[in-house]
Amino acid sequence: MKRIVFASMLMLGMVGCATPPETSHSLIERQELKVDPEVIYTMEVTELFQERLSQPGGGSLLQVQFAVDARSDAELAWKVTWFDDSGMKVKGVGEGYRRATLLAGQSRFFKATAPNPRVTSYQLHLREPK
Amino acid sequence: MLIRAVAISVGIAVLAGCAAPTRYIDPAADDGPVAMTMDYRDFEKAATDAVEDMLASGAVNNPNGGRYIMVVSRITNDTMQRIDTDQLTKKIRVALLRSGKVVTTTAVGINGAEDEMSMKARELRNSEEFDQSGVQRKGTLQAPDLSLSGKILQRNHKVGKEQQVEYYIQLSLTDLASGLAFWEGETPIIKRGSDKSVSW
Repeated sequence: MKRIVFASMLMLGMVGCATPPETSHSLIERQELKVDPEVIYTMEVTELFQERLSQPGGGSLLQVQFAVDARSDAELAWKVTWFDDSGMKVKGVGEGYRRATLLAGQSRFFKATAPNPRVTSYQLHLREPK
Repeated sequence: MLIRAVAISVGIAVLAGCAAPTRYIDPAADDGPVAMTMDYRDFEKAATDAVEDMLASGAVNNPNGGRYIMVVSRITNDTMQRIDTDQLTKKIRVALLRSGKVVTTTAVGINGAEDEMSMKARELRNSEEFDQSGVQRKGTLQAPDLSLSGKILQRNHKVGKEQQVEYYIQLSLTDLASGLAFWEGETPIIKRGSDKSVSW
């Protein structure tokens, strides 16, 4: 009896070792586009494109373009955060928001290029600068 | 005498209370007021624009594979401010290094090597005091392929009762083999504010 219990424990232990613990998962699905409510009053995001730019020596870089239509004169701050295949953040050049001024009725197009070919996804955040 | 001392102490205490407390600013969430002079946000914008454009254009992609070697040449400061142009070039260098496409040499520079140790370490050659197996051999330093040069310009204008300060950050990336500029960019930074603000 003791031998059976010992063998069962050993097998369970080995199974436990064989299954790697899950460490990579996102708790909440990450949004590609995050727009603050204050921004929605004054403008509308009309386009959001992404493409991979082929590089001359091989490989490609992710590029993101978005368009905004302004309903009234407004200030906009935007930032793209880049992520690799594992969902880890990839550092860009700067960390700050880029600012833009929009005139009523104006459509503006903004573009950002990933800092590294490892980048596979992104998050674009639009907010109103204080 | 006692009343005067108390009055001075109270005055100092009140003034100290009014002073803005010293605090850390997080560059990732800085909505603070804008200065008429060039601040870190301006250098960050110029570096971001330059690096993204360089990467997107493919100018820093070595067709033979591997990384290009870049040297930082002269960045002229033609503004009324005392600017250390490394504030701009360092951001560009770091970003290009992280991109995996360009590595910067510190062994050559317009005013001599940025890091003189590359040559100093070679002076140990034939020294009996040093284990020669660890001394750098001849012909191991890598010559640059690309050179980053540029200029920062400033123009001041009076616009009505306000002052307009224009900064232009111009950069060129030259292929040293052909002398041709593989990439060029200009980032204008325009600020309008009080005529009483100083921009130097």
